[in-house]
Amino acid sequence: MTDHLTVVEFDDDEAVAEAMAGLDEAGATRGGLFRRAGAVAGGLGVAAAIVPGFLGATANAREGGSKKEDVKILNFALTLEYLEAAFYAEAVNRGVYSGSVLNFAQVVASHEATHVATLKSVLGSKAVAKPSFDFKGTTKKWSTFLRTAKVLEDTGVAAYQGQAPRIHQNAVLGPAAAILAVEARHAAWVRDLLYAGKSVKPAPEAFSTPQSMSAILAAVKKTGFIKS
Amino acid sequence: MTFLHRESQVDLTDVVAFDVDGALQETAEEARRQSRRMFLRRSGGAALGGAALVAGMGSSTAMAATPKGDVAIANFALTLEYLESAFYAGALKHAGLTGEHKRLARTVHQHEAAHVAALKKMLGSAAVKRPSFDFGSSVMSQSAFTATAIKLEDTGVQAYQGQAAFIKSQAVFKAALSIHPVEARHAAWIRNIGGMAPAPAAFNPALTKSQVLAAVGATGFIKA
Repeated sequence: MTDHLTVVEFDDDEAVAEAMAGLDEAGATRGGLFRRAGAVAGGLGVAAAIVPGFLGATANAREGGSKKEDVKILNFALTLEYLEAAFYAEAVNRGVYSGSVLNFAQVVASHEATHVATLKSVLGSKAVAKPSFDFKGTTKKWSTFLRTAKVLEDTGVAAYQGQAPRIHQNAVLGPAAAILAVEARHAAWVRDLLYAGKSVKPAPEAFSTPQSMSAILAAVKKTGFIKS
Repeated sequence: MTFLHRESQVDLTDVVAFDVDGALQETAEEARRQSRRMFLRRSGGAALGGAALVAGMGSSTAMAATPKGDVAIANFALTLEYLESAFYAGALKHAGLTGEHKRLARTVHQHEAAHVAALKKMLGSAAVKRPSFDFGSSVMSQSAFTATAIKLEDTGVQAYQGQAAFIKSQAVFKAALSIHPVEARHAAWIRNIGGMAPAPAAFNPALTKSQVLAAVGATGFIKA
């Protein structure tokens, strides 16, 4: 059963499948998520300054997409990072972990907080506000903490991979690709902590599978972790 | 901020801990010193040099509609995957791997072989040929295997990341995106086994093609 844990793990009553039927509507009515994604982010100049560090390339526009869509994608990413950062912060603040689990929680909490700060600075005034979260006690015990972390990290990888081809500006692609790889490292790390020597592998497949924004949002919504 | 390094490098200081006989550090230092110009001059006819990558581009049929730059990038990736695949095959044969090391090597070898097959299929007649390799002592012990695997996987992640912005075709881009996070998972896995930070930074650094070629060239793993 643990061999194929995915975001669908949370989909006990097939609500994800149901929600996916009305994807576009779900995205459009997603409260504060995308409402402010109206125009080009003033902060994109920051990303342009960052990009050589990620890609060694100039900040050219890519085919497809638009600057407006990039803002939407960045806010989608920011929302996921808010969620991850808050989740790991709660785990660390419980003060119950030690050793490799604490190390994992602390390092990843720091990374996700950095992702939040960077995405916020890139988006500037276009950044969505941080939602409030309820992780429903999943950070209390190491087993549920790590199992939930695994789902969140695998979801993060699928989310960034799904959005990368839709990104218009290389200035946005740079940070996205740099984060994609780090989320994948987190995912492999937590899998190794959970399942070393067992059938579940840190790298389960030769090819990683992307997920659409709508599918990710539906899965995240189903967790009930986002209160508002 | 630490993630703003312009010249991203493999974390050589971490590799050193595993580099029992100093050989890896030596080649890594050499790679560091090597300028792009020096590399190109030295590797004129070598398999990884520009000549071989360009040679494959003329006869493309499967990728006839694909921009030449994408064909070159795909062949660059294929060369790295050939190398990784052969490395794990060699280690499984000679390094006397046990436990998690063996499990990782078997799994990752399958993945790299699948990457080779997928890239070859995508490139069709434009695919570069498989070079011959000599991994020397790096596949002769578990500790040498671990140190080398960490370096190869970290470099693989940085290589895919460095090329992302240059890929024009969505098909090639999506193929690269399906491999990039898998290489990152490999890197984190072998690092954790080796007792190193699986995710050493909040932002994964990228390497340019010439930086990757210089690093690979300096290992001496590619014979022809």
